[in-house]
Amino acid sequence: MADEALFEFLHMEIVSHIYKEQQSGKAEMDNKDRAVCVSVLEGMGFRVGQGLIERLTRDSPSFKDELDIMKFICKDFWTKVFRRQVDNLRTNHQGTYVLQDNKFAMLTQLSSGKQYLDQAPKYLAFSCGVVRGALSNLGMESVVTAEVSVMPSCKFQVVIQKL
Amino acid sequence: MTRRSTPSSEMVANRTTPPLEPSLSIARERAGTGETQMTVHNLYIFDRNGNCLYYNEWNRKKQAGISKDEEYKLMYGMLFSIRSFVSKMSPLDMKEGFLSFQTSRYRLHYYETPSGLKFVMNTDLSVSNARETLQHIYSNLYVELIVKNPVCSSAPSLDSEVFSSRLDAFIRALPYYSPRAA
Repeated sequence: MADEALFEFLHMEIVSHIYKEQQSGKAEMDNKDRAVCVSVLEGMGFRVGQGLIERLTRDSPSFKDELDIMKFICKDFWTKVFRRQVDNLRTNHQGTYVLQDNKFAMLTQLSSGKQYLDQAPKYLAFSCGVVRGALSNLGMESVVTAEVSVMPSCKFQVVIQKL
Repeated sequence: MTRRSTPSSEMVANRTTPPLEPSLSIARERAGTGETQMTVHNLYIFDRNGNCLYYNEWNRKKQAGISKDEEYKLMYGMLFSIRSFVSKMSPLDMKEGFLSFQTSRYRLHYYETPSGLKFVMNTDLSVSNARETLQHIYSNLYVELIVKNPVCSSAPSLDSEVFSSRLDAFIRALPYYSPRAA
């Protein structure tokens, strides 16, 4: 894998660029603008996730069921993309999964505690999209959201959409 | 004040600057000295325009008697002058330039990064070379926690709590640090 710093700086710049674009001309960002920014970032992540999963599973056998897919996401996929494994996976066996990462790669430099908590969601949107894209190309439509209470630990909630 | 620039480290060839002979020395009297223990007194970080980005002190017994802003300006101005003096008067080709000066009570160490960031640390006399320490502070703490922090690097402010706490922990863990008995 290439040097992590390259992607980290690129990601920082992507986020700041999108927010600046959205704000151009206006004095303050309202919630609608923020929502637009988050969905743009998430959309970018979606395409990246789709491509990544094609590449990462080309040699793996096909998966038995949903839980197997989620375990793959938590172990191999997370390792390749975020350089560590998910610490905790919980499910209600009804299609909702919670992935907890105690040292999330995008948040470690931000703070280790409560400082900058309000800025954290900006830097998680892209990653949510990556997970959603990966699942989509594995045949599972989902909605992925993230929440943070104490950095750098964060929880991703995946809700599988049954058609 | 005895001023002496220490020659650049253990490498063979070039001494960057010769030791200056003190033309006047001001003795610092301090009643009841007690043991000098190894310690770090304080640390300044300046950006390339001379703004003080960060300051912290661990063991400073005497203040400068002027406001903090004036103190930062004084420090920066002095460093600027000393560096140009040193390079002008050097009888040999310069390598690193100004590294440190010492008095009878403390030594000031200086490290400048290629990007113009200046790290200044005052320690006691037992520390002869703090260059690696300052380099470590730059590459492992500053770059990791400030430059890579998207909130901190757009407006160069060092508000990051994790930076302050890690820096504090690092300084206290240095082999030559010990909190002086009050």
